[in-house]
Amino acid sequence: MKRLYQRLLEFAPLFMFMVVLAFFGAQSSRFLEPRNLVNILVQASSTGIVAVGMTFVLLTAGVDLSVGAIMFVAAAVAGKMALAGLSLPFSLLAMLVVGWLVSAFNALFIARLRVPAFIVTLATLFIGRGLGLWITETRAMNLPDSFLQFGSARFLSVPVPAWLFGMAVVLAHLVLTHTSFGRQIFAVGHDAEMARKAGIRTEMVMAKVYLISGTCAAVAALVTLGQLGAVSPKFGEQKEFAAIAAAVLGGTSLFGGRGNVLPGTLLGAVLIQTIENGLVMTNANPYLYPMITSVVIFVAVFFESLRNRVSRPFSA
Amino acid sequence: MSTPLLEFDAVEKSFFGVKVLKGVSFNIPEGGMVGLVGENGAGKSTLMNILGGNLQPSAGSLRFGGESYAPQNSGDAARQGIAFIHQELNLFPNLSIAENIFLTCFPRMGAIPLIDRTEVSRRAAKLLRDVGLGLSPERLVETLSTGQRQLVEIAKALSIETRLIIFDEPTTSLSERETLQLFALIARLRSRGLAMIYISHTLADVFRLCDDLVALRDGEVVGCGPAKSFTSASLVALMVGRTMTQLFPDRRSSTPPREAVFEVHKVRRIDVPNYVSFCLHQGEVLGLSGLMGAGRSELARVLFGLDPRESGTILLDGEVIDSLSPRDLIGRGVAFLTENRRSEGLCLDASIAENLTLATLAEHAQNPLRWLSAKSLQTAVSNIRQAVGLDSKTGDGQCVRSLSGGNQQKIVLGKWLLLKPRVLILDEPTRGIDVGAKYEIYRLIQELADSGAGVLVISSEMEELMGICDRILVMRSAAIVDELGRAEFDRERILHGAFGTEIAR
Amino acid sequence: MTIRKPVAAQRARPFTQWLVGLISSEYLVFGLTLLLVALLAPFTPGLVSIANLLNIAGYLLPLFIVAIGVTLVMITGGIDLSVTSVIALTSVVGAKLISADGSATPTVVGLVAMLALGAGLGAVNGGIITCLRLPAFIVTLASMMFLSGFAVWITQSKNIYNLPASFLALGKQLSIALGLTITLALCVQVVLQRTVYGRWLYAVGQNPTAAYISGVPVRAVTFAAYVVSGFCAALASVMLSARLETGSPVLGREILLDIIGATVVGGTSLFGGKGKIAWTFFGVLFLTVLDNALNLLNLSQFAITIAKGTVILLAAVLDATRHRLGRQNA
Repeated sequence: MKRLYQRLLEFAPLFMFMVVLAFFGAQSSRFLEPRNLVNILVQASSTGIVAVGMTFVLLTAGVDLSVGAIMFVAAAVAGKMALAGLSLPFSLLAMLVVGWLVSAFNALFIARLRVPAFIVTLATLFIGRGLGLWITETRAMNLPDSFLQFGSARFLSVPVPAWLFGMAVVLAHLVLTHTSFGRQIFAVGHDAEMARKAGIRTEMVMAKVYLISGTCAAVAALVTLGQLGAVSPKFGEQKEFAAIAAAVLGGTSLFGGRGNVLPGTLLGAVLIQTIENGLVMTNANPYLYPMITSVVIFVAVFFESLRNRVSRPFSA
Repeated sequence: MSTPLLEFDAVEKSFFGVKVLKGVSFNIPEGGMVGLVGENGAGKSTLMNILGGNLQPSAGSLRFGGESYAPQNSGDAARQGIAFIHQELNLFPNLSIAENIFLTCFPRMGAIPLIDRTEVSRRAAKLLRDVGLGLSPERLVETLSTGQRQLVEIAKALSIETRLIIFDEPTTSLSERETLQLFALIARLRSRGLAMIYISHTLADVFRLCDDLVALRDGEVVGCGPAKSFTSASLVALMVGRTMTQLFPDRRSSTPPREAVFEVHKVRRIDVPNYVSFCLHQGEVLGLSGLMGAGRSELARVLFGLDPRESGTILLDGEVIDSLSPRDLIGRGVAFLTENRRSEGLCLDASIAENLTLATLAEHAQNPLRWLSAKSLQTAVSNIRQAVGLDSKTGDGQCVRSLSGGNQQKIVLGKWLLLKPRVLILDEPTRGIDVGAKYEIYRLIQELADSGAGVLVISSEMEELMGICDRILVMRSAAIVDELGRAEFDRERILHGAFGTEIAR
Repeated sequence: MTIRKPVAAQRARPFTQWLVGLISSEYLVFGLTLLLVALLAPFTPGLVSIANLLNIAGYLLPLFIVAIGVTLVMITGGIDLSVTSVIALTSVVGAKLISADGSATPTVVGLVAMLALGAGLGAVNGGIITCLRLPAFIVTLASMMFLSGFAVWITQSKNIYNLPASFLALGKQLSIALGLTITLALCVQVVLQRTVYGRWLYAVGQNPTAAYISGVPVRAVTFAAYVVSGFCAALASVMLSARLETGSPVLGREILLDIIGATVVGGTSLFGGKGKIAWTFFGVLFLTVLDNALNLLNLSQFAITIAKGTVILLAAVLDATRHRLGRQNA
């Protein structure tokens, strides 16, 4: 009985997915068309890639609130470089470097100086946003067409963003399940002190997950640039919420040590995008979106708490 | 004796200017088994943490296998062939047995940095056979019992070229059967030539297993030599630094029958088939004996409302208690000293005074604003400190974290005594505390019973129960299977009940 | 750092001893504030002028009030990230009620509604955290997003003007704000220090399991802390809205880091079980003065954010180090 209940909870996101599909399918006939479904996958790629990185962080029982800010700064730097006439590869490299710099800063404070992750990344969120506004001089920047072309390019008739998303998911899945680093992440997430005693270089593991998260954020910034072709002061704003929601919806525990990217985070990201798409299709008020995302987080976290209660009975 | 495997040479360690180890020197021969004994705070853990690389000595040196040995972290120690089986097992429940074994040294697929899963399973299966654990290596550790987990730890130690295994109180959470299995495994490993250090408070085990003994007191070696040259009494005398004439305070020989204070009728835990019924009388010390896993602590947690109850009634002074919660029960004069002193008994960063008064704050604030009277608090604290015999060197404002285990336990007990409880439930009240403090705790239990309260004591140490109780209940599989009055106390009979008929001796 | 004291004492190096004493002093942050003023005053015309001090006070008081609530929550070992959204939502709801463009209800009713709404939102946070046993951080993060989204949605992202003069007066007269703040701060500090509830709050932050087993109503105590936090945010919202003469759905959005930062800078621990209202005041004072001085030096907003962020991170590092050393020592 308990096992069955636990199984049900594990598949909760899948059920929600079905329900959401059915709901929006009934609301709008266009929604279930194959074209729209592919669209959803492509649109989910940006959030999804960030969520893949976020999954690594959450697995160590940390959190990275700075991903949206990293995206903004990366996009702002890339945009400035592109407008200055540098070619696309330089901009790409610059974005990755920005991602690494900010996340290395996060990693230093969290892994080395042991400051709680939420306060460090909250600070980098504010600092990053400030930096981005300073770079863009709080104006929107329209970028050269090369970005948009990149975003709509296809490889083997699949759009490039979807490729990037797919590669991120597969790579992350391999790393998490088939490398020592991946398995050590689970150990550190369960109990960092115990992991250190067991001979795991906890600091390195923690530092790496934030670097991975930063890298993912930079790649996601590229995907988003390819889709929007512009950097506005709102670029990447609240992406951290969507990413956390996707990971947690996919069954990753906020307490660390439990979760997966495939199928978990993939499904979570697509689910969130599906909801947003459905809202667009049904012409819902755009001001509703953040409220709906936060409700989704609540629901996901609620399922998580139920799962936790089954496996960890009352203690306090 | 050839060259020793491990040599401690005048090892010293200070924490914040306080010397914890004062020049410890002794040797462990190749393939030898050395027992390390001493009261809590004697420096055993510090010494072993130095050996395991978690701490660095302030002075002195170590030699391992004839070479200078100075590990900087636990990884260093493991690489050199020293494995540590900790008191609290260091396994990750969310990983499989095989993953736990190879966590820091996964076999890889040649040049590709991916784990070779088949190799992992094959090697893990072989190690599990070596330690006599017939489980699939893919099984998640969270599904294993404590004894099984310990075997996995040992398998992990064998997975690398281990030459020395340190056991730190390995039997505290094992059933008697698991303990015997462990001892058999230790004998097998010794025949392979592995050296071991065995740390334990259970002297009988130490005598049974070890060739040599080292006794520590206050960071100094006070006794060192072949096990045969010691007796239990001489060892205890060395550890305590004085001869303990009496381990238990005198118990009144007979108790006149008195009124029941706490009655438990057919109480059943969720997911457990068996009922428990018993009755605790005024002025009685009732012992609850049984093996680990017999459901004693679990029963206590149900009685105190910490775990849910499936069915049954509980009566206090003849009155049925419907809602069970610590808060309600404390209000009615029921108190519970849990087995986990540090995690459930104390606020380690709060002061002695704050911890002592935590359960009885409302008594000192009998006004609508719940304003605390500092004077009344102060009186209560100084009275109870005197009553529990808390060292007067420590100030009321001192942080509890820095105190010894014995003093910490006195504070938890003092907190409950301030409540003047009608019923006190104690779960392993003397676990991990030194002999002197144990005696004090027995005395306090005795006094509380003499004042008319009912005391329920859960303990894994049979001697302790037989020393302080008026009556002992024996539990097996969440049910009470035997009851012994003081006149009937008998080790064999208690064990017989605890193991069940199939292991009857 | 306090636990390093015995080492220094033993080595008897007067300078080290003095330094350790200084770092562990409660008044360190206050001292640093004075030092900051003393250092910057010569280069910053008008830093210590009456007008500027009033300006500082006007910014400091609402920040301090929110931080008082956050301090209580942090003592329980939790965190309240939703305070700024509570400020925004109570601001627009209150403004809608009392504005001449809205329902034009009497100011008093509007005020009561704002405070009740704030406490109610705190109660929702506290209820979810205590009943579902979810991490405070994620619950308040989600409610921060939801409430801010809600505030934007009901106003369709527009500010509300035409507030009655009786309401605006609250913002014009510093003495009212000052009186309210001092009263609140003193009351909360006395509750913390001298009542059963205060003791319970610290116990919950230090070890919730031990507190529960000792009969402390852990959930009720935690719940109350979030209610107070919501109430304080609403009170700050009244002051801010009155001062800015508008109900704004993005009110307070920029000060989240300042609020939590000020609490941490003051010395309240992110790990729970430790904190004082006076400390929080020093933290708020320090950050406010820093912000103001840098502004007067004509630094860009970005540079100021960097400076404040650095100070907050340093304080968090100090807190984490203290916490870790405490653990190790055991």
